Amino acid sequence: MKKKYALFPGCLMPTEQYAYELSIRETLPLLDVELVDVEGFSCCGEPMKSVNQLLTLYLSARNLAIAQKHHLDLFVPCAMCHLALTECQHILEKNPAMKDRINDMLVAEDLAYTEKRHIVHTVDLLHDEIGVQKIKEHVKKPLQGVKIAVHYGCHILRPRELGRPDDSENPQKIEAILKALGAEPVNYPQKLDCCGAPLLANLPESALTKTGQKLQAIQEQGIQGLVDVCPWCHKMFDSRQTKAGETVAAKLDVPVVYLTQLLGVAFGLSAEKLGLDLNLSPVEKLQLEAAK
Amino acid sequence: MRRIGVFVCHCGINIAQNVDVKALAEYASQLNGVVVAKEYKYMCSDVGATLIKDTIKEFKLDGVVIASCSPRMHEHTFRRVANDGGVNPYRVEISNIREQCSWAHSNKGQATEKAKFLVRSSVSKALSLEPLKPSTLKVIPEALVIGGGIAGIQTSLDLADDGFKVHLVERDPSIGGHMAQLDKTFPTLDCSSCILTPKMMEVANHENIELLSYAEIVSIEGSIGNYTVKIKKKPRYVDVDKCTGCGDCAAACRLKDRIVSEFNQGMGKRGAAYMPFPQAVPLKYVIDDKKCLFLTKGKCGDEPLCKKACVQNAITFDQKEEIIERKVGAIVVATGYDVMDPTLVYEYGYDQSPDVVTTLELERLISSSGPTKGEILRPSNQQKPKSVTFILCVGSRDETQCTWCCRIGCMTALKQVYLLREKLGEDIEINVCYNDFRSFGKGYEEFYRKVRGLHTNMFRGRPSEVRTMKDHLKIDIFDTTTSKLFEIKTDMVVLVPAMMPRKDTTQFARLLHLTLSGDGFFLEAHPKLRPVDTFVNGIFIAGCCQAPKDIQDTVSQASAAASRAATILSQDELEIDPLIAMVDEDICTGCGICVEVCPYEARTLNERKRIAEVNDALCAGCGGCIAACPSNASIHKNFTKKQLLNMVDDIM
Amino acid sequence: MSIIDLTSMGEPQSEQRKELNDRLTKLQDEISDYCFQCARCTSGCEAHKLLELEPHKIVALLKRGLINELVNADVIWTCMTCLKCRERCPQRVAPVEILFALKNIAVANGKQIPGKYTAMLQSILSIGLIQDIQQTTTRTNKTVKREELGLPPLSKPTDVAKFQAGIMKIAMEKV
Repeated sequence: MKKKYALFPGCLMPTEQYAYELSIRETLPLLDVELVDVEGFSCCGEPMKSVNQLLTLYLSARNLAIAQKHHLDLFVPCAMCHLALTECQHILEKNPAMKDRINDMLVAEDLAYTEKRHIVHTVDLLHDEIGVQKIKEHVKKPLQGVKIAVHYGCHILRPRELGRPDDSENPQKIEAILKALGAEPVNYPQKLDCCGAPLLANLPESALTKTGQKLQAIQEQGIQGLVDVCPWCHKMFDSRQTKAGETVAAKLDVPVVYLTQLLGVAFGLSAEKLGLDLNLSPVEKLQLEAAK
Repeated sequence: MRRIGVFVCHCGINIAQNVDVKALAEYASQLNGVVVAKEYKYMCSDVGATLIKDTIKEFKLDGVVIASCSPRMHEHTFRRVANDGGVNPYRVEISNIREQCSWAHSNKGQATEKAKFLVRSSVSKALSLEPLKPSTLKVIPEALVIGGGIAGIQTSLDLADDGFKVHLVERDPSIGGHMAQLDKTFPTLDCSSCILTPKMMEVANHENIELLSYAEIVSIEGSIGNYTVKIKKKPRYVDVDKCTGCGDCAAACRLKDRIVSEFNQGMGKRGAAYMPFPQAVPLKYVIDDKKCLFLTKGKCGDEPLCKKACVQNAITFDQKEEIIERKVGAIVVATGYDVMDPTLVYEYGYDQSPDVVTTLELERLISSSGPTKGEILRPSNQQKPKSVTFILCVGSRDETQCTWCCRIGCMTALKQVYLLREKLGEDIEINVCYNDFRSFGKGYEEFYRKVRGLHTNMFRGRPSEVRTMKDHLKIDIFDTTTSKLFEIKTDMVVLVPAMMPRKDTTQFARLLHLTLSGDGFFLEAHPKLRPVDTFVNGIFIAGCCQAPKDIQDTVSQASAAASRAATILSQDELEIDPLIAMVDEDICTGCGICVEVCPYEARTLNERKRIAEVNDALCAGCGGCIAACPSNASIHKNFTKKQLLNMVDDIM
Repeated sequence: MSIIDLTSMGEPQSEQRKELNDRLTKLQDEISDYCFQCARCTSGCEAHKLLELEPHKIVALLKRGLINELVNADVIWTCMTCLKCRERCPQRVAPVEILFALKNIAVANGKQIPGKYTAMLQSILSIGLIQDIQQTTTRTNKTVKREELGLPPLSKPTDVAKFQAGIMKIAMEKV
């Protein structure tokens, strides 16, 4: 059975985190997921939450309304966007007065939010909707010997009461997927620590320190690499790794990859198709067969 | 012509501030059949009662309407007053103008009008109330006590000493409960088994106590004074008459030291043939039929070694489950509590490190009869820990887990700090992360002070998580007394988990028709004035099945429950409320629908007369059969269709 | 009768406190009043070690009604929104949400918005996204373009005027 979703790209992935988008577009169709590109989406609003939360709600609601217009559920690969849209839907469903108010404003763009949409992230799409078994069936080149740590990202785990893609305290879905790919997930005490990205807007030094501390801990434990599932986290751990290292006075060289990139490698896709040359961290150290 | 008197109560200002009581009385006095109507500030007071009695005599009343609070409050009082005055107590009708009127409305004019409707309908019912006489029931002077922890033990001993026969049912192979697992008790540091074992022995040897261990309640039927209980005796596969408790079977068992010991909280091992703990009562071995090779696989080597080892020939693999029946007059439920599963607070690391333990597990390590013979060893490496850190309120006072205070956590932790200091000496570091110290009992605050003097590091705060590092555990704790964040590196973490209702409380409550409070524990009939009664007459509760409490409070409550049960058992017969169902034999077709719907098994079919009958002793007056009867032959005394429809007519 | 903070001579602003709690209830079910100061939030706060954010103290000050003090403090802008405080609070208080509310109030009161928030807001107004396409390179320092990689054009608001009209309305309103 083919699953069909509107791909909600958000801001970061389509403007700089191409590796995530490439690997998503390459791998998911192989698993019978049809991704529909929809015109007119905007920022989810989450980055504006500190400035004006009503704006956050409005932006999320307009994106939900656009999906509704196309009768599509949403695939949201960004953890921040996923929380924004989920929380918005939660508030609108719970608070009819707020729903009316937002809908009054949405009229300006001939939009309306009236029905709930299914909002999935990479993790629950792969683990719950597609299933580990099906993923396993597609593996052509098992990732044997790849021992890797997992970073989930705060926003796909918490707050649990809103219903998040994985358990808030003991998430194991990415680990299960990695095992299906033949890789070996490694547990580490800092697993649930934040990447620091939300501070990028106003306290970039502190944000990078947070990133540096987590990567340093991973490096010191001798873990081969890190896998993530959020363009913000990846921007910190991969794109800004060198800078993050400076904040903690360490030379960091931890390979950081998107889960969907590993998925692609295991499915036998080429490094180029998966954007592996776009990772700025030393991913070649992982000795992924396709990456050579 | 009937002569009804109406008495309007002000209830101080509870009723009077929203209902014009004078106007109401004036209105009532005009109603058909009413010969007098009076109002007074407190009808339930002595003066009010005298007013009612005198008025009954003066006006030769034959029926009474009291317009006051809910009948749940004072119906019983006013029935007695009417009886004293010379009116049949069942010719009293309460008109609830407080809960259903003055408290519910704020407009005095409208509330008064509503009160008039209510009183008018009550008068119409009073005019048709029949005089009734309660029947009586013989009381069986025996008690059932469910649960053999310290609560059940105390209740059983009290009742047995009073001369009543007691049947004590315990689910586990031995009585003793959680208290038997403890090393010392706070704040006096009495050795737990030293004070508990004599009581357990007394239970075993008391001529009035029948101890049914390794047994479970299957069903309970009947009512106060006369309950029939079915009890399932689980097979021990050991003939208790032959077993001397020598232990040869356990020593011989092929699975010896290979099964997690429940009694030792998983800190130690046992075999399939085992005795839960050395002081067990009864001192009889049991074979675990979920683990025993012979019982699960039908084969244990060439032959079961336990059977071979037992010189008494007590091992009997063909023992079967047995259902027995007992008749009792009263029941005390003392089923205890469960310790919250600490994995529910995953981030505290219980699942991630063997060095994260619960207080009950540490208790087994401290206990000289425990798996380490009282040596405190770090589970991961069996070395003496250099640092131990307690975390209090794990799951307690927590809206996401258990909202309540466990009432023993603070003192348990302080006691264990004391014992660790005593056993491990001055050189180990002890940290305690607490929310508040609650030391409310006699001698508790003094004990807390004593522990403060043992150079313990007290941090006022809750850690967010416990991290399992390579060779230690790490806790970040923000201490609100110093306003500083501290990092604690420690060898062992002791979690103080919440106390929860037993897992099967809901099913068990259904079996006994008991009510649960919002937290899932058994609900007492009144939190202050009937703390050990339940809403089912003749069933009482004691100990932690009602709410978390310490041993002191548990024992007090257990004695209270025994004494409440004795008030029933000491009577030869009980009056049965006559407000129950009856059958109009002329109409009844004997279809039997009422027999099926009756939840109290009070209905039987008389095959000879081809009608249904009511057992007055069992009928609870619930009305189920009245609604179910297709031919209107089921009648609820003084709640007949005609009486109720008249009331409705008067309101409409 | 009154309560006064003798260190700052500040008085509790009970009206604002009520307003803030009302605002929080519109967005979630929790309010600050239930906090019993166990400081579990601060024990696990990702921003505390780096930036001295003390979520439990924020809640305490809010409960005391010292809203102005909070709104004017720079520390409210140090939250990393890791959401651990909300997730693990035993009383279902959500310091992270209180901090969002305080920051919103600061902005509404005309306080200087720190960092790149203004730039992001302006970008949203003009193209609907917090940033336009960035210059991107490979590990070997080769510049790559979105379209060269075969990726479709950006999804963004099609009728910018209508989109802006919607957003301008909100700028005038509170939650």
